[in-house]
Amino acid sequence: MIGAIPLVGTIVGTSAAQAATNASVTTATNAVGDFGQMMTQVVTDAMSKMRTGEATAISGLQGKATVQQVVEAVSDAQGSLQTALAVRDKAVSAYQEITRMTI
Amino acid sequence: MIDPLDASIKIAGSGIEAQSSRLRVVAENMANAQSTGKTPGSNPYRRKTITFENELDRTTGVSLVKVGRVGVDSSTFKTEHDPSNPAADAQGMVKLPNVNILFEMADLREANRSYEANLQVVKETRDLFSMTLDLLKSS
Repeated sequence: MIGAIPLVGTIVGTSAAQAATNASVTTATNAVGDFGQMMTQVVTDAMSKMRTGEATAISGLQGKATVQQVVEAVSDAQGSLQTALAVRDKAVSAYQEITRMTI
Repeated sequence: MIDPLDASIKIAGSGIEAQSSRLRVVAENMANAQSTGKTPGSNPYRRKTITFENELDRTTGVSLVKVGRVGVDSSTFKTEHDPSNPAADAQGMVKLPNVNILFEMADLREANRSYEANLQVVKETRDLFSMTLDLLKSS
């Protein structure tokens, strides 16, 4: 837990530069402890899964996909969105914890 | 490496798909249990069979199930004396499909149970997933 604290400095430090490098996010394997990059990837993943879920739901309504495929895609999207939200909430509360710190 | 929980849902999904195909074959057999041929002496509907096989999913490395082959049951046809049927031969005998409704009912029930079991795997996996995620929320 203590080990995570120094990461906050990295987040604050890189958040400005993050906007510029967002476009060049690569795989998680070479993201060395960069929380911002990791979050970007999680959100991108959740977004693409939601798009897939919606596309499958539409083709299901058109009779091109089976009910099972629709359910699988939509619940996959739901799962990754929930994960993204939970991690974001946790990150925000950690940030608030720091702003409330008495100096 | 794929998340094991995601993998279980994928595997159970393939099971559900396979059992749906089995259900389809049973439905075809049941519906055609009385389908005789069109011309005198011709063969009636032949019972279909389905086999499943194991398939390794290359991207995730998990073993899925898929429909192997939808084949035909080559057992002999029953015959019945019914001269008025268009498929009756010179002796008035009609060949009937080699479908046994009892077998089909048993197969149907087995497909149903297997489908339910796979659904249960999906449900349990989803419950475990959300329970684990709740650890982040509650504290």
